[in-house]
Amino acid sequence: MPEPIVEIKNLSVYFYTYAGVVKAIEDVSFDIYRGETLALVGETGCGKSVTSRAITKLIESPGKIVNGQVIYHRDDGSTVDLLKLSDEGIREIRGNEIAYIFQDPHSSLDPLYTVGYQIGEAMEVHGKVRNIKEGIAKAVNILREVLIPDPENRVKNYPHELSGGMKQRVVIGIGVANNPRLLIADEPTTALDVTVQAQILELLNELKRKYNATVLLITHNLGVVAETAQRVVVMYAGKVVEIGTVDQIFHNPLHPYTTALLRAVPNPLGKIEKLESIPGTVPNLITPPKGCRFHPRCPFAEERCRKEVPKLKEIEPGHFVACHRY
Amino acid sequence: MAEETGEYETREEYEMSILDRISDRLIDGFASFIGLFKKDWRRRNQSRIKEWKLMAYAVNRSPPTLLGLIIVIVYIFIGIFGPYLAPWPYDFFPVNYNYSTQLAPPGSTYFLNVTQLQNGYIIHYTTYIHYMLGSDTYGRDILSILLSGARTALVLDIFIILIGPTLGIILGLISGYYGGAVDETIMRITDMFLAFPGLILAIALSAVLPGRIQNFLNAHVWAQTFVLKLFALHPRDVNNLGKLLAVFVALVIVWWPGYARVTRGSTLTEKENLYVEAARAIGLPTRTILFRHILPNIIGPILVMITMDFGGIILTEAGLSFLGLGAVPPIPDWGNLINQGSQQFPQAWWLVAFPGLVIVTVVLGWNLLGDGLRDILDPRTRRSLEFKLKKKSKGGEASA
Repeated sequence: MPEPIVEIKNLSVYFYTYAGVVKAIEDVSFDIYRGETLALVGETGCGKSVTSRAITKLIESPGKIVNGQVIYHRDDGSTVDLLKLSDEGIREIRGNEIAYIFQDPHSSLDPLYTVGYQIGEAMEVHGKVRNIKEGIAKAVNILREVLIPDPENRVKNYPHELSGGMKQRVVIGIGVANNPRLLIADEPTTALDVTVQAQILELLNELKRKYNATVLLITHNLGVVAETAQRVVVMYAGKVVEIGTVDQIFHNPLHPYTTALLRAVPNPLGKIEKLESIPGTVPNLITPPKGCRFHPRCPFAEERCRKEVPKLKEIEPGHFVACHRY
Repeated sequence: MAEETGEYETREEYEMSILDRISDRLIDGFASFIGLFKKDWRRRNQSRIKEWKLMAYAVNRSPPTLLGLIIVIVYIFIGIFGPYLAPWPYDFFPVNYNYSTQLAPPGSTYFLNVTQLQNGYIIHYTTYIHYMLGSDTYGRDILSILLSGARTALVLDIFIILIGPTLGIILGLISGYYGGAVDETIMRITDMFLAFPGLILAIALSAVLPGRIQNFLNAHVWAQTFVLKLFALHPRDVNNLGKLLAVFVALVIVWWPGYARVTRGSTLTEKENLYVEAARAIGLPTRTILFRHILPNIIGPILVMITMDFGGIILTEAGLSFLGLGAVPPIPDWGNLINQGSQQFPQAWWLVAFPGLVIVTVVLGWNLLGDGLRDILDPRTRRSLEFKLKKKSKGGEASA
């Protein structure tokens, strides 16, 4: 039995906007196991990023975590609910034990500081180095680890002097600077071109092995999932619809949404006349559809789907699905 | 790499004017001066020094900015040394010795029969006083008052700018960053201050405050001495300080809301950047995010505003003195001179004309400098200035 590092239980995040309350995620529950790479997939706006940010209370006003628990298992076996921690307490965990890699490397670095300074700052704030100067000296090693050539000189560069791929390596460097136990990578390759994407993913895998870290990989690229993850959580319109191992999800998808999502991936081996798409659009989360949120787009929808919210059910060991058909 | 060296080569071929050479010398001198204290500073900050030089070139090519810079430097110089340069002390009243020195026209000379108590002896002597810019109702030399008054203006300027905008920037950062109830509270308070025209509020405050400030000063001798030293005043004038400081406090109170608004606006856009969220995600405390990451990124427009306000404060302060608030004679003050002159106008035109000219010049100087800074601090306009430089040098090559 794999031991969990983070257990997310009944997490709900609402955004209080002028147009109304956007129920960005509702009743999201899943576990992240120690040492695995867990992929969080779903289309744009389904709440993947919100879920990942809620783990360390990074939700900004007008957003609010209205319900739920995030149980974090410390190294010494004790557990703590991250959502109940004080600002000071959560600050000590952010970047130190749970680190983030954001999707757009072009804007996630402060343009006014050298990359060495920014890596050093991440270490300084958690007391890993005595001052920024020492941090910058250590940043050279970190840049070498994320495979940046000539790190002694690059450490003095400003973000605008680096290419997109290099910047993403720096961002990853900041993420791993404190040797975190959980690394949350929010679409780390979206802003990069395809040739660089593969390199970055390989780097992530390597660092994960080296540091023995756990990775939560957020993506909408199913190719990336198959390549790097062990388990997959599929989200749709703010809800978890299916959880399973990569094998289970790719070979035996149960939820109609997962099936449709997999069909929409073009297969380079087969001859395709037309790209498949899922009919309909993502529902408005201010007034989400009653019952199963996928029912307006689901080919198998029946009366029950319109009224009753399906619960996650374990169909086979480790394979959960929220659908009335099972 | 080859491209880089190529760029530097063309830079060497800039058409250098004398001014460029002077500014290069000054910046190099400054860099070596720092180098004396911090080893290796010059080598590590090469690019920064180069940037400063380019900034100086941009200033050198914009005559208005240069003019503004010169005026401002002269103003600051006189503000510091003016009281010592003045031919006569500000509290010397020739009218006591020769009644006709009252409202003497520019260029006139009068003899004074001075009776003074010195070392226990009463001594009589005759001296003369030359009024280059005329005299006021007490027979005081206008030139001397203008020179001593520069100190009053400069000290008020600097201290109001140090306190007012700082307060505004801090409140604006907090307001913009936190949003919600905090934002509402701070901004509604700001609104209350903005609801009154600044001058009216300042008038009200400088009419109410002097008594309290005077009481405080009388109770604390250290504060007295400090303020007297600051304004280069004679200890005899200690009872006039209350009114002067009332203007100072009034202007500080009036001056922060504008900065709070501007800073809040910039913070609102800046905090949406991913690097702010990234900074939170690595666990930086909020004050570090505010002052180390957001503030440096929005400082450009605030800096320009501060420069412009150096002039604005002089103008407002003069306006208050003109209305009879603030500095009272014999404390040297430009606005106060104009106030005296308004009663004698147009016969004693020099009482209005010369202080007025000085105020206009200094305010203009700060505004020209602020305008120039805006162009230089905005990367887009500055690049275009640099391109102009480059084209010139290429044109020179082609013709040769």
